[in-house]
Amino acid sequence: MAWPAGLFFIAFFLIPVAVIVVISFGYKPDIFSTYALGNWSFDNYRTAFDPVYAPTLTNTLRVALIGTFICLIIALPFSYWLAVRVNPRWRGLLLGLVLVPFWTNFLVRTIGWQLIISPNGFASDFMQNVGLIDQPLELLYTRGAVQLGVVYNYLPLMILPLFVAFDRLDPAMREASKDLGANRFKTFTQVSLPLAMPGIVAGMLLVFIPLMGDYITAEVLGGAKGNMLGQLVAVWFGSGQNWPVGSATAVLLMALILLTVGVFGALGLILRSILRARRRVEIVVKESA
Amino acid sequence: MTTMESTRAATKSPIVEKRKRRDWTNGLLNVWGVLMYLFLFAPIFVIIAFSFNTGRLLTSWNGFGFEGYEAFFNNPNAQRAVWVSVQAGFMAALIATVLGTMAGIALARRPGKWVGIFLALVAVVLVTPEIVDAVGLLPWYVRLGEDWNLVAFGNGLVRLVISHAIFATAVVALIVRARLAGLDEALEESAADLYAPPFRRFTQITLPLVMPAVLAGALLSFTLSLDNTIISSFVSTPGYTPWPVYVFSSLRSALRPEIASVSTLMFALTLVAIGLVALVLRRGGDSSGDIAKTMTGT
Repeated sequence: MAWPAGLFFIAFFLIPVAVIVVISFGYKPDIFSTYALGNWSFDNYRTAFDPVYAPTLTNTLRVALIGTFICLIIALPFSYWLAVRVNPRWRGLLLGLVLVPFWTNFLVRTIGWQLIISPNGFASDFMQNVGLIDQPLELLYTRGAVQLGVVYNYLPLMILPLFVAFDRLDPAMREASKDLGANRFKTFTQVSLPLAMPGIVAGMLLVFIPLMGDYITAEVLGGAKGNMLGQLVAVWFGSGQNWPVGSATAVLLMALILLTVGVFGALGLILRSILRARRRVEIVVKESA
Repeated sequence: MTTMESTRAATKSPIVEKRKRRDWTNGLLNVWGVLMYLFLFAPIFVIIAFSFNTGRLLTSWNGFGFEGYEAFFNNPNAQRAVWVSVQAGFMAALIATVLGTMAGIALARRPGKWVGIFLALVAVVLVTPEIVDAVGLLPWYVRLGEDWNLVAFGNGLVRLVISHAIFATAVVALIVRARLAGLDEALEESAADLYAPPFRRFTQITLPLVMPAVLAGALLSFTLSLDNTIISSFVSTPGYTPWPVYVFSSLRSALRPEIASVSTLMFALTLVAIGLVALVLRRGGDSSGDIAKTMTGT
């Protein structure tokens, strides 16, 4: 029964992505056509790798990495609170409320932030009245605004897997840890957090990957300064009318995502094995004593 | 029982001590929770407030009034965009729900080597950035529609429906699979033992069992479609501009208050739809926690 969905994915996902890879090796014959196949070469990749676009690449990577990290930091205590501390009677409702932002359009939400942080918006007025700042807020169309926007837009994608991870955690584990003399901090860092690791990894992937391809948030809140790789792809396909270079940039974007995920995955594994090795020694010492 | 009571009595003071400290971190976490909800809702409240802006531009507050709502009812382009979005959302949700439910049931009930391959495919669909899908689909539709004369793929609505249904199908398949994986297969087996033919077994046992997941998946597919901006802006054709693309293009010219008004109306409608689905799920006997979990696909 899965074959209709399988065929659907092949026809409208695998083939189109493969088409992109093929076009990225093609060429643009003249100003009137967007692409042509043949004359296979790496020229488009050379264009896509041009040093002119290096700042866009580093900017995308920076916004995505910092965004993922901030999402993790602010979602961790929240998801823990939601899954463990909140009265179970209200848990369902509160979890549902996290999703409410999803039911309004992504773009409209971002425009909402534009209204809030604009120099004559009420965040600015409020902070001026309170005396935090003495000039209108200059946040809109800066990298900070883009950072705020992406954290906001992708936060629920971090909260949900973290919630699931903490929710599945057996309370007996925490109690056992406390019975064995661990304090609250140690219980959280050495029991709850490691057990929630699959959720943390899932959340980071769910935030990082779409964030790398996002350019809408950057366009609404970042103006010209918020250059993202996705924007570059869109421009090559749109006003640039050069699909081979656009395709090469899209392939580059995917390669960058895979590379970053691979590097951080490897770092995580190394860190885990080091931590495990260190902890194992402690336990052995206690057993022999 | 008695031992527990005695230990409780013996260690009474440390427990009281712990209560107090727990209250302290609880308080901190409660404050954090409230702040997070304020953060999550801030732009929505602002949009709702600004939908009553009487100014010509959305961004500069002029006064309170219903001009934004009136403007929408006098703007055929905006109405058409909303209508295209709603149509695309319904059809994409229908396709995604049918294909995804079938795939999800097969994934949970027909184990085999293919399950791994299929799940890998689903994972790739879910993690591919939208912009990559978008630029892949555009030349593909052009090829199908113009070079191979499959006229349907030149139609903007067909393009939107297919593009939106891809991601949603993957989501529905996962939700349905998760729901069915948690249910005992013996229910279907006993129906077979009682001589229910395969089709009746499917319609009277399997389908009612997965219904909450199917409904949640359909709703999620619909909202994913309404939300989709990047792919839509690439594949849409003149005459079939969906609502997000309309907003995106007016971002470059001028944002009018009616954008906030329409968003507020659509937000209210979605809330009603979610309420209805939650009601249906509650009739099915799920607790509010289960409902939220089903709706979030966890």
